[in-house]
Amino acid sequence: MQKRSLRQKSEARWGYLFVAPFVIGFAIFMLGPMVFSFIGSFTDYNLTSKMNFIGIANFKRMFVDDQLFWKSLYNTLYFTAFNVPLTTMFSIFLAVILNQKIKGIRFFRTIFFLPSVLSGVAVYVLWMQLLSPSSGMVNTILSWFNINGPAWLFDPNWTKPALIMMKLWSAGGAMLLYIATLQNVPTQLYESAELDGAGIWHKFRHVTLPLITPIIFYDVITSTIGSFQIFQEAYVMTSNGQGGPANSLLFFNLHMWNKAFVGFDMGYAMAMSMTLFVIVMIMTVINLKLAPKWVHYAGGSK
Amino acid sequence: MKKRKIFIALLALVMVFLTACGTQQQSKANSGSSDKVTLDFWTFWGSGDRREVIESIISDYNKSQDKVTVKHSYQPWGDIWTKSLSAITAGNPPDVIVQDIMSVSQRAEAQQSVDISRYLDAGTKKQFYPQLWETTQYQEGTYGLPFNTDTQVIFYNKQIFKEAGLTEADLPTTWAELEAVGRQLDVKKNKTYSRVGFYPLWNLGAEVWALNADNGTSWFNDNEKIKINTKNKVAALQWILDQQKHYGKSTINRLEAEFGSGVSDPFLSGTVAMRAQNLNYYTSLKENASKDFEFGVIQLPEFKSGSGHWSWGGGFTVEVPKGAKHVKESAEFIQYLTSEKVQQKFGAASFDIMANEDANNNLIDGTELDETGQMIYAMAAENMKKTIMTPVPLTAPDHTNLIQEEIDSALLGNKTAKEALRDAQSAVENLVKQNQ
Amino acid sequence: MAVESHTMSAEPYPQSITDRYSGDSLPMVAPKRRRKISGHQLLSYVLLSSVSLVLIMPLLWMVFTSLKPMSEIVQFPPTFFPKSIQWGNYATAINSFPFWSYAKNTLIIAGSVVVGNVLSNSFIAYGFAKLEFPGKRILFALVLSTMMVPGFVTMIPQYVIFSKIGWVGTYLPLIVPAFFGNAFNIFLMRQFYLSIGDELIEAAKMDGANHLYIWSHLMIPLTKPALITIAINSFNGAWNDFLGPLLYIKDQNQYTLQIGLQVFKNQSTTQWHYLMAGAVMVLLPSVLLFFFAQRYFIEGMDLTAGSKG
Repeated sequence: MQKRSLRQKSEARWGYLFVAPFVIGFAIFMLGPMVFSFIGSFTDYNLTSKMNFIGIANFKRMFVDDQLFWKSLYNTLYFTAFNVPLTTMFSIFLAVILNQKIKGIRFFRTIFFLPSVLSGVAVYVLWMQLLSPSSGMVNTILSWFNINGPAWLFDPNWTKPALIMMKLWSAGGAMLLYIATLQNVPTQLYESAELDGAGIWHKFRHVTLPLITPIIFYDVITSTIGSFQIFQEAYVMTSNGQGGPANSLLFFNLHMWNKAFVGFDMGYAMAMSMTLFVIVMIMTVINLKLAPKWVHYAGGSK
Repeated sequence: MKKRKIFIALLALVMVFLTACGTQQQSKANSGSSDKVTLDFWTFWGSGDRREVIESIISDYNKSQDKVTVKHSYQPWGDIWTKSLSAITAGNPPDVIVQDIMSVSQRAEAQQSVDISRYLDAGTKKQFYPQLWETTQYQEGTYGLPFNTDTQVIFYNKQIFKEAGLTEADLPTTWAELEAVGRQLDVKKNKTYSRVGFYPLWNLGAEVWALNADNGTSWFNDNEKIKINTKNKVAALQWILDQQKHYGKSTINRLEAEFGSGVSDPFLSGTVAMRAQNLNYYTSLKENASKDFEFGVIQLPEFKSGSGHWSWGGGFTVEVPKGAKHVKESAEFIQYLTSEKVQQKFGAASFDIMANEDANNNLIDGTELDETGQMIYAMAAENMKKTIMTPVPLTAPDHTNLIQEEIDSALLGNKTAKEALRDAQSAVENLVKQNQ
Repeated sequence: MAVESHTMSAEPYPQSITDRYSGDSLPMVAPKRRRKISGHQLLSYVLLSSVSLVLIMPLLWMVFTSLKPMSEIVQFPPTFFPKSIQWGNYATAINSFPFWSYAKNTLIIAGSVVVGNVLSNSFIAYGFAKLEFPGKRILFALVLSTMMVPGFVTMIPQYVIFSKIGWVGTYLPLIVPAFFGNAFNIFLMRQFYLSIGDELIEAAKMDGANHLYIWSHLMIPLTKPALITIAINSFNGAWNDFLGPLLYIKDQNQYTLQIGLQVFKNQSTTQWHYLMAGAVMVLLPSVLLFFFAQRYFIEGMDLTAGSKG
């Protein structure tokens, strides 16, 4: 009995040593700003001249009076609901078709990865042209199938799908994680499955998928968090935070940015960030609770 | 394997060393003190004519006296203000910043900038266009001086006018005439427009047409009363909706998708016969148009005959941020920047309309510019008489998205002009109430 | 906070697959595979090529734009292929700002961030994945929570902290935090560690190895693909970061490439041809890095397969 607890103590000491850099870094760089934002959300802080305690006035204003708050929350939920599953599936798809030993695979991998490195205004201008309602490439392709494409960036119902399409296109970052994981799947497993007469889908479903669930789990959680915080794309696509047609691209963080840096209403922005924090926290906890049903670790129970 | 590890370790060491060097250099530069004051001056003029001329102006200034050295720091357009806000909050701002003219009083109220009125010469105020000077005033103080501005006009393609048999006398002076001339210049082939005479929302916001129609009153009047839902503004929005109906959404969306990004220019290719734009668009024409391309400039037409050629302008001021250490020297430098000769020099190089009225007028008949250039400044002098500045209202600094949403829903056909502006009015009233 | 609970009931599902398919009939596979390949391969190439075509369009557009004169860029309707090729755009773009010295600055920052991120996150995540200690769940919840606070709310308070300790004007605010771990990467490494069996660690402990040794000699080689992924992604993150360097660097000589590229954007116009030429130049190192770093994915696979088999 005593021996075991000694061992546990030693392991705990090692544990603290290993996580120490995070704790130190957190204390120095993150803790202060996070606590400050929390306190700031109950004030009328404007960065430079005032910081008076106003109770829950910011939150009351947010939930009762600010119509753009609800609009931005709706836009963000919509975006997240479609973006997370679609990008996850697409990046797995890309990784799987890249996971073979054929000539030129390095070249293809590089091309698949490229869009995730590209960003900013070049991408925006290009997509404006690709999504042009009558002459853009996307609608031209749709017209081959007798589909009359929508006006994309000019129709508030289609701006978010357009943005999701852009995000899909740059799924290379997540794809990389899956490629790295797929390398860990021993090739014998596939070969043996083939011997048993398994088809492509069967191999994917019963060999590949179970082994990459830890990374799918990671991807789902982080891309949920990332989707809730979508900012850069919308900021560029809507010429500096104006929200797009009928504010259909006014996302949560964009509205927050306008409050903080256009209106100097930092206290309100901090209250918004606390609200977002709680929402994302709930989503993450739900994800964590569901995980045991589908995530498999080779390492067993640690 | 081992070699690689050693390599990585070495790399890390080199990095740390280089970083340390960088830090040291920095501290050395700071410690090099003398009696001379160094002013850190932030602008967003990073390339081309504007950069050259501002650096030449600064070097003139540094040579002209021996008390102050001005150091020019380029900061990227737009993000310059995120950076300066951080620096002001932390209490280590630069000495002089080029800022947006619309939000001077907003910064003054939040104590981000400094009142420089006691360092200014008596005649300073009179140098500037009155509406520009007005933007720098907050509670009896002067929080910076206006530097440059712009104004909205209409460029037209002379070639297309000639081909259609239109002469100078036919140039539109009212909205009705503008519409009529536009129709005359339209070219329609197989149900689609291959040339658009004039569409008001290309490169001009609905808010400018609204203030043009409403005797120069923008969404807010001078006392920050909300004036969104007015008879004339509803009529203006209705007129825009009529133009939209005329060309059809598909034509508008098609063209907008391809040049709305600001890359392609349909005016240069003759796809659009008239284009509303700020006067500085001339520089782009000068650079990119073919030699035989002929264009002219007219004022925004009057809503009704005699109602006035109201237009809208923006621009930039030069300010001393709160927490800067050499306010007096900075104010002197700002006065230098806005003085007649210096302004004239900047204008001649950049074709910006300068805040200093005499500087612009000198350019009309000076020797610096060719005939077209002089014509641009003559136009500026005329247009500035009716050009309105719309400073951010302190009661609702972030109102734009609320109004734009309603205008969009009118353009999408979900609301009538009247409903849209009525709803915008109440949304902004609600925002003002929240901010109190 | 039940952050860890799901791992407790993880089924040993993958092992069962291994059991089922661990035939020693491998020699027979080779001829059978060879026959199957050609049809498969053709399909693969068609699929890969068509996806590539879609994905590479924007890059082609960038390159073509960078080779056009401005008078062609403003043409309407827009052209895709340049009519007259202007190689001079590249020279002008590079000479519009101190390109090479900014490249050196960016490399210093990005290189340091990569070293910091790879070392710290691998180290920290080992503690969270393979060691038991009181308070672990709360600490891990803290890790996750740092991802959930929007960056620009904490941006200015953070700036104030760095300003107070005198780091504004140096690269330290951009580099040092990388050495203290980053929530996304800690989480990612933890997931990789969890998919490695504990038997190796137990065996090493029997041989008297301590955890530092296990981490540096067993875990690092085993997680190489993950480390390369982190290295690539954090290089790109730091290489393309704009707001961080902009906020913290004061001296123009210490600027990075992304700040340099902004000189082509003005209040009214953008010099697209130069901007795109510059952007292509800035993009190249990222692409090259990825192209060559791929090799280590393959190597990582062989190692893992070797250790398992």
